[in-house]
Amino acid sequence: MVRRNDRTAFILLSLTKKTNLLNQQEFIAIVIPFKDKLYRLAKRILVSSDEAEDAVQEVYLKLWKGKEKLENYRNPEAFAMTMTKNYCLDRLKSKQASNLKIVHNNYQNTDNLERQLEANDEVELVFKIMETLPEQQKIILQLRDVEQFDFSEIAEMLESNETAVRVSLSRARKAVRKELIKQYNYGVS
Amino acid sequence: MELAKIEALIEAYFEGNTSLAEESMLREYFKSEEIASHLQAYKSMFIGFAAAKDEVSVREVEIPSKSLKIGKAWWYSMAASLLVAITVGGFLLTQPSMSQEEKAALAAFQKSKEAMVLLSSNFNKGTEKLVYMNQIIETKNKILK
Repeated sequence: MVRRNDRTAFILLSLTKKTNLLNQQEFIAIVIPFKDKLYRLAKRILVSSDEAEDAVQEVYLKLWKGKEKLENYRNPEAFAMTMTKNYCLDRLKSKQASNLKIVHNNYQNTDNLERQLEANDEVELVFKIMETLPEQQKIILQLRDVEQFDFSEIAEMLESNETAVRVSLSRARKAVRKELIKQYNYGVS
Repeated sequence: MELAKIEALIEAYFEGNTSLAEESMLREYFKSEEIASHLQAYKSMFIGFAAAKDEVSVREVEIPSKSLKIGKAWWYSMAASLLVAITVGGFLLTQPSMSQEEKAALAAFQKSKEAMVLLSSNFNKGTEKLVYMNQIIETKNKILK
């Protein structure tokens, strides 16, 4: 009696192990191609590359736990981007809610200012300007001008509509332009 | 590419009205060609966005080989089957072993059975002798017909 039970258990175990292994490979094949995109988005929001890596890991764990849901999604990439965006914004919120907020912000502002002034690297300057934008504009700029997603995809990722995305994008681009021209004029004169 | 076209594209770009193809044209323009001086300020924007895409994640993501959900279900089923095995096995194994009282009763039963057998065998010994009695009856019947 006991032995038979053990055997059924063993067969059950090997079965679940097999299907799990297969699923894991499939899962990795689906999600790994857009890992860098998730990372860049996370970094755009969280700034620190260390925190961005943590966020990517966390998002992948969440995706893995809810992988049945991922399979049902017609666009896993957009789904993962949405998750990354939401996770990072939550992280940011909890960070700002903590007591460190004022100190941290003050530090970052002076740091930005100094670095902007002495930035001779133009690319670095664009990144610094992007950091000062509101989160939503920052994210849209990242998704469109860096990752080159369609407006429809961006709207899906941000749970918004194309018109709103275009308006936000236009504002973000103009804000960057304004700062750039300011800096450029400083440089010229 | 003609300057007028580029200027128009830039205009549309800042209104959020360029397609992905047009934006890639702009990137190409700022990357390779001689840039008109009044457009110089935009250069770092397009170069910067292109450069931002080169950044990659360097840390390996760890995905547990077993998903937690299935793992839990698996442990539950394991625990359940183990419980069944133990109860059934235990039930079967403990069945033949008896308590002290039962053992004593069984011994008493054996003893009384032996006694009964002894009694009945002695009783049979007694009835065996009755065969002679039959002989007597038979002979008596022959004589006293």
